[in-house]
Amino acid sequence: MDTKLIGELIKLRYKLMWARTRTRNGKIALFFVGYLLLVFFLVIFSLGGIGAGIMAVRSGKAHTLAAGVLGGLYFQALLATVLMGFGISAVFADVELRRYPLRALDRQIARHFLGLADPFWFLVAALDVGLAIGLYALGPGSIWLGLVAVLLLLISNYAMAEVVALAVERLVARKGGSAILLMGIMCLGILPAAAGSLNKTHPELLKPVLRILHYTPPYGAASAMLRPGVEALDGLGVIVAWLVGLLAILAALERHPPQARVAQSGALTWEGPWERFGALFGPADAPLVAQWLRFYSRNNRFRTAYPLALPLVAFLAITQAQVAGPKGQFANLLGCFALTGFIGTAQFAVNQFGYMGGGFRRYFLLPTDPAALLRTGSYTFLMLSAAVIPLATIAVALLSPIHLDGRMLAMMVGAAVTALFLMHGLALWATLWGPRRGNYKASFGNDLSLLGNVVFIGGLLTLIFAPRVLAKFWAVAVSPESWWAAVAMAPIAAIFYFVSLRNAAVVFRSRREQILAVIEGRA
Amino acid sequence: MDAIRITNLMKKYGTVLAVENLSLRVPKGIMFGFLGPNGSGKSTTIGCLTGLLDPTAGEVEILGERFTADSAAMKRRMGVMPETLGLFDPLYAHEFLAFVGRMFGLDEAVTRKRVTELLDALELTDRSKTLGDYSTGMRKRVAFAAAVIHSPEVLFLDEPFESIDPAGVALMKQWLRRFTEQGRTVFITSHVLETVERLCEEVAIITKPGRLVWQGDITVMARDGVIHHDGQDFQALEPLFLHLTGQRYADLNWL
Repeated sequence: MDTKLIGELIKLRYKLMWARTRTRNGKIALFFVGYLLLVFFLVIFSLGGIGAGIMAVRSGKAHTLAAGVLGGLYFQALLATVLMGFGISAVFADVELRRYPLRALDRQIARHFLGLADPFWFLVAALDVGLAIGLYALGPGSIWLGLVAVLLLLISNYAMAEVVALAVERLVARKGGSAILLMGIMCLGILPAAAGSLNKTHPELLKPVLRILHYTPPYGAASAMLRPGVEALDGLGVIVAWLVGLLAILAALERHPPQARVAQSGALTWEGPWERFGALFGPADAPLVAQWLRFYSRNNRFRTAYPLALPLVAFLAITQAQVAGPKGQFANLLGCFALTGFIGTAQFAVNQFGYMGGGFRRYFLLPTDPAALLRTGSYTFLMLSAAVIPLATIAVALLSPIHLDGRMLAMMVGAAVTALFLMHGLALWATLWGPRRGNYKASFGNDLSLLGNVVFIGGLLTLIFAPRVLAKFWAVAVSPESWWAAVAMAPIAAIFYFVSLRNAAVVFRSRREQILAVIEGRA
Repeated sequence: MDAIRITNLMKKYGTVLAVENLSLRVPKGIMFGFLGPNGSGKSTTIGCLTGLLDPTAGEVEILGERFTADSAAMKRRMGVMPETLGLFDPLYAHEFLAFVGRMFGLDEAVTRKRVTELLDALELTDRSKTLGDYSTGMRKRVAFAAAVIHSPEVLFLDEPFESIDPAGVALMKQWLRRFTEQGRTVFITSHVLETVERLCEEVAIITKPGRLVWQGDITVMARDGVIHHDGQDFQALEPLFLHLTGQRYADLNWL
């Protein structure tokens, strides 16, 4: 293994990160990111990790609780990497590394080491290490075995995330793959509720499932942290076995790259559904709207994220319902439903031009106002998100676990339309002030700037939790009696959107060159 | 009337000066070569002439009218092949060209006819590949087709011949000659000086930072004549270019 060259590549990764901070905005972003990471790290380490460890030992069910915390974290990290793209950015693609005198194995190690060095995994490690220390402080386990378990668990978590991301990427690239993925996510969404009711009616059926869970990495890590002697080593053995298996699958998947799907051959097709849809926007904007739709309809990331909007909202509504408690059921449903107005297109709307690559330059050579490009892009994402709302309304009216009257439904639709306009208005500003060059070909990965992430993730979290916070401190605001307020907020949000659109067009004209430089990778 | 007139053009990127007080006149109906070493400001100048960049100072006139980045009507009369090509990788060639044709206001029937003819003429007949899967030469051909699809009056070509095979270059040259015979203007940048020498009637040479050092008629070279400059005779463009830009070959003994 060429450790010297791998070391140079790792140094280069951090040099590139540092190079981005040379501008004033970059330094501000670095300060905020660094500060947030430090705060998160300390909070997670002390409260989440050590606190959970101490509580687990004191409760007398240390092993079960530790396994539950580690399992939950393992699953959350998996979801965050696959859905949000955190923690799997390998920075250098294999093709880029081929120019250096590195063997295939060296290239693989270098890429994955850089992926594992993502700050996201430091946060995951903070909780794991905190838990190991908390368990060691009051329990009978060994701190050294605990730390080894944390390291192995972290690597297996990363490997699992890579395997799932690659598998999903290949699935989406296949014909009908998106539909299969959709069904998978829906099953995953229903699983907690189904398991809960099954546990009540047939508890004996869950026992074999729970026994299988004993042979999973989080359970193994809990054993290594808590149990003495051979049992601890057994726990480590479980993680190592998983790790070997996952790395073997990962190597096999990487060795056999997916075949590009040939979508068309032979006769030329001139007019498709995109042109027909674009025609609704008038002759001046029609080609641009059609172009936006065609461009993103061929993007794997979009083809994954957009159809997942509805199942993901259902998944969040079901899982969050358990946390919200019986009094917070409607507030939880209201918050999750509001997501339908943004979640499907969020990561594209906050970085409209990020995936255009060299094509972005073309728009400025065309005989059209640059503002038309911004406007049509925003309209496209707005329309796509708006299309999810009626489907979600029908689904919730038919399948809601709580009784919904007309006022409640009106309130939910009002909240979703408010979110639609408000978030797409904010997304316009993120597009202009926080553009970032994205990888069009990747199905996963977080390609957004700090501002893009603030609007994307901050917006989604605010939409989910704001009604629950209101329910706690100002219950009348989210009660069905106040349905008119949610409905009245929608036109206000629409005004905000259109005012933003008009003003953003002026800013776009003046920031055109800077955005072009970012999208073309020159800044 | 001049096809292009640049007056005291200046472009700064922050504090970095890319083009300094450039003034230039390009007569109508000729093939005009715009030359300079790497980083001399050629692409920046083309960016200012085509609406990609806003000049820091100075004025640009195209076909007798003041041109700015928002001059949409004038852009309809111009065709541009940028150095970075400006292609959308996930699109098929015909989809991309049809989009460009529609944006330039061609009606549907004309768009389809011209796209089909351009694809055939430029041998872009592999319809199973998207632009991202095309070779560099094929991508250049598509970018060239996009620049001419609306039959512009002024054509800006930034490094048009690099990576294109000899047959493709010959075809393009033939088209460009016909283009100028019809009274239209071609503004071309290239590092292939032999091609510029054979193709262009007039040439401007700039050095860093976008400073004009020479402009003149070079048709005399094609007739085996010489150009007198600084008391020297130049029979070809290359020695003139090297003399004007002060470039020399570094002596790398180890190579």
